[in-house]
Amino acid sequence: MERVPVAALPETAKPLKTVKEIPADDFYLTTSCILGVINPGTEVLITRIYDLLGLHWGLASARPASQCTCCSGITTHGDVMAFEGTLLVVARLWSVAAELGFENITTACVTSFAIHSECLEMYHAEPGLEEKVDRWLHEACGRRLQIPKHVVHSSDVIYRYRDTLAESFLKYRLVDHRTGRPLRVVDHVGCHYSKVFPERSVGGADYCDVLTGLIRSWGGQTVDYPERRHCCGMGFRQCMIRPNRGFTMACVLKKLASMEPYQPDLILTNCPGCNVFLDKEQWAIKELTGKEYGIPTLSYTELAGLLLGWDPYDRVGIQGHTVPLEPLLDKIGIPYDADRAWLTDAAGPAVKSQLQPYRREARTSLGLR
Amino acid sequence: MASHEEYLVQGHEELTQVSDAELCFTYDTLRDEGRATGAGTYYPNVQRLCGTAFEREKDRREVDRLVHQVSPPEMQAWYDGARRQSCVWWLDNHIVARHALKSCLYCGVCTAQCPAAEYYEDYNPRTIVDVALSRDEGRLVELLQSDVLWYCGQCSSCKPKCPRENNVMGLISSLRFFSQLKGYHLASVRGRQQYAGRHLWGANLWNRACSLYFRNATADGHPDFGPRYARYWAEVEQQMRRLGATPDARGDLGGKKVNPETLAELRRCVQWGGTLVLWQQLEEHAMAHAASVGLAIDEYYDKVRTEG
Repeated sequence: MERVPVAALPETAKPLKTVKEIPADDFYLTTSCILGVINPGTEVLITRIYDLLGLHWGLASARPASQCTCCSGITTHGDVMAFEGTLLVVARLWSVAAELGFENITTACVTSFAIHSECLEMYHAEPGLEEKVDRWLHEACGRRLQIPKHVVHSSDVIYRYRDTLAESFLKYRLVDHRTGRPLRVVDHVGCHYSKVFPERSVGGADYCDVLTGLIRSWGGQTVDYPERRHCCGMGFRQCMIRPNRGFTMACVLKKLASMEPYQPDLILTNCPGCNVFLDKEQWAIKELTGKEYGIPTLSYTELAGLLLGWDPYDRVGIQGHTVPLEPLLDKIGIPYDADRAWLTDAAGPAVKSQLQPYRREARTSLGLR
Repeated sequence: MASHEEYLVQGHEELTQVSDAELCFTYDTLRDEGRATGAGTYYPNVQRLCGTAFEREKDRREVDRLVHQVSPPEMQAWYDGARRQSCVWWLDNHIVARHALKSCLYCGVCTAQCPAAEYYEDYNPRTIVDVALSRDEGRLVELLQSDVLWYCGQCSSCKPKCPRENNVMGLISSLRFFSQLKGYHLASVRGRQQYAGRHLWGANLWNRACSLYFRNATADGHPDFGPRYARYWAEVEQQMRRLGATPDARGDLGGKKVNPETLAELRRCVQWGGTLVLWQQLEEHAMAHAASVGLAIDEYYDKVRTEG
């Protein structure tokens, strides 16, 4: 397919200012349910990049009672958690962070970022709530409410250090090494990073820069495609209860159709769920519509890991993606040995035949009655 | 007495013969049975317990005991009282509802932005705001019994655009909570799915300290993810360990098996927040509804998680 001339591309606008204060150091990292499940490399890469940057951060505790837990985000947005329970689960995490000597929280998950931010906002909005939660937390766990100085997402931290990474650490650039062409990268910022509290994101909901800033610093070309801000459709009860998943698939299709005319080389994400569904639903969409988009999807840490020259299979985990990443590696000039992708000879179940019972509802969801 | 292994394959009816103490002790013993490996301590029974009727029965008993304790935590008592109140009372008193809604210009920008409104023809977040602001008990009950209450994807696309800074996502979440407390959700096929949700993401939180357990994402359950994912899934544990995660093992990253001491703290947070009142009500509503349609509770669970 002929590429759209570069001059016709609507590049993303830089926000006039990024009002967000991102601390330089001193982070308690809260882990993510979804990242750890489907793209485990993505989460481990956060820790590897923090170490590479020499940051003071932590997660592990020697006390058996002080492990990190889920923020309860899916349970909260899946509507089976009282909000006061959410406040307490998060307050416990803040207490663990303080116990380990960290004054800032960095969340691996964007829904965790929104959940922690929601708790902070509620303490501002509801007089007396801090005292109540402190009392409940003490009754429940013997802990005290200790509000952190900053709550940021791990993509905020990478954003802060994007130029440092580019200047001192990256071995590769977002450039087609065969032609010198900057790669076209479309961003998809997680809704719970920029829409729940836009003022807590880098650049706000409409012109969020947390990913496009990385793309520019790392040599790529941004594209402001029309449905850039549309949700991926993950939902919570939508993606986790199978009969509801047609909504997810339809949202992914809307985004793919919107970005396709710009012939993107890559979709870049900062949300665990978006990274899963923008990638994985492409197979079902191909099966049900006959249209193969084949646009690879990476999280910001996976992209950083690849550009740092870390092993695509042992460190980044590209084999976990549905749309193969190897063609992107060829463009960038990253070497790989495709025979190392899999560790066993085990074949997966025969998925194609299992799609049959799903076909009718999925076709309906895509408007293919 | 059945062996521990037999409990893993028994259903609600068979497990009713087992005492609460025996059931909970057996579950905890199996869960915490570790095996030393070259990569650390591995807990082989975590996956065997997940999603079983045994786990649901154990949770049912634990929640029932905690909800009926003599001196309940403050918020547990609050939610127990709240479930006897009206919808209008809830809107005036529930912490999330009180802060979610100010006034409405009826501009419709929430609906214009909403991915769910585009997908579901009968869904419109503006009308949900309208019903809430009407303070009409009859309209509110009708909304809480409807399918449309369950269509919102909780993405918050509407919030940054609202000229009144309303939090429609929060309002809907609050109304969904009350719908379940009252049992109104049973009138909706989407609402009834919440019983499956309680024993999926709720059980993950209660038993594994994470809302999503990595073994929930099976290739069989996600045929839309395609054959490459199925290939990955066939060796998921090895791939996770290769990347530095700790599936069903002692550790701090993806898939870890949480310490009992940490899990105990998390559970007390869940309990002190009042959540168990909802879980108890969901259980009672599901039991009654299952009986009314002639299903055993385990059959009902399978039904509600697969219909929609």
